[in-house]
Parts: sequence; C-alpha cells; structure tokens
Amino acid sequence: MNERHEDRLKKLLQQALPPVEAEPEPGRDLWPAMLRRLEARPAAAPLRFWAWFDAALLAGLAAFAALVPASIPVFLYYL
Amino acid sequence: MNTHPYLRAYLAGVFVPTLVLPLLLTVFIVVRIVLQVPIPIEQAMIFPMAAVPSLFGLWNMLWLWYHQRADLPIGLHGAILPLVLMPLGATTAHCLGVLAFGSHGVTWFQAAYVPYALIAPCFLAALAAYYLVWKYIVGSLNHVLGIA
Repeated sequence: MNERHEDRLKKLLQQALPPVEAEPEPGRDLWPAMLRRLEARPAAAPLRFWAWFDAALLAGLAAFAALVPASIPVFLYYL
Repeated sequence: MNTHPYLRAYLAGVFVPTLVLPLLLTVFIVVRIVLQVPIPIEQAMIFPMAAVPSLFGLWNMLWLWYHQRADLPIGLHGAILPLVLMPLGATTAHCLGVLAFGSHGVTWFQAAYVPYALIAPCFLAALAAYYLVWKYIVGSLNHVLGIA
C-alpha cells in the first residue's frame, strides 16, 4: 500500500466516522431522572398478585395431599 | 460465565429429582421393610431413577433454547412437563406391574388406590406442583448459574 492509498484511506475513514467532541459527557446530571424512573416502576402490583397466586396454589396442593394421601407416593414417583 | 450454557441448564434441571430420589427410596424402603407392605420397589424405582432426572435436565435445556428466542415463563414451561411425563410414567409403571387398572380406579405400587374420579384433580395438582417447582427451584438455579 503506497502513501497515496494510505491518505485516501485516512480521508475515507474520517468521512465515515463522526468526529469525537471535546466534551463527550452530557450537559446535565442524569442520575435524578434515573431515580425517578426506578421509583415509578409499576412492577410491584403484579408481583404481589403472583405471590398470592403461588401461595394459594401451594396451600391447595397441601390440602389435596392431606385429603388424598395416596397421591403423595404418586407425586414422588414423578419427581 | 458464558461457557457451556446447555450443560449448566441440564445440571440445574436434574437438581430437584436428584434430591427427591433418595427421599423416595427411603420412603419405599421404610414402607417395604419396616411396615412390611409388599411394594415392588425394584420396578417402582426404574422410572424415577432412569427417566425423570434426564427428562428434567433435557426439559430445562429446551427452555434455555426457547428462552433465547421467545419469552416463555419457566413456571409455565415446567407445568407442561407432566403432559409428557405422566403418560410415559404410567405406561412404564403398567408394563412393570407397578400400576394396575381396576374397574373403579388405579392401584399404584400394589398399595395406593386412586379412584378414577380423582385422576383429573391429581393431574391438575401435578401441574400446580410442577409450576411451583420450576418457577421457584429450577428458575432460581438457572439464575444462580447465569442462564436465566
């Protein structure tokens, strides 16, 4: 590769890549906005529902095992 | 830790049956030797020892493969496993003389009688049990092993 090709390659690369700014950091503090976003997450309600659902399932299973004890060895057979 | 994710999925899957198996063996031995109930223990242990752990491991590998393409909750995925496991287990048990079909119900291990009317509730209970086991135990293990 001669010098002319190198210069051309350099020019092409400079055209393709955007110039890096002298101040790459954002102009404002982003952490408060991040905190607000974390606090506004609506995940708590569905999580609570699923926890209740799973607890009810577990209670139902325990009740079923108590009512039909013959099912216990059959369950163990499949685990 | 991105190496061998399917091996880790398999190991996480076999964890629960591997823990339950000694418990099952203990129960069978106590019932057979201490309580003198004539349970065909050798035949009864074949399916839980040979098939269940491998199927759990393979099922978890399948979940990992599917999870990389679509978002399927692991509890739901685990709840589907009895649909595969129960016919297989029942067929194996029947062939080995562990499960006998009667006119009003089935007899497991020549000792546990389950009427036909309770088969459907038993199946639903199995779905619920598998859902909980997969969601809370296998799911946690997958998380610990870095594949969830």
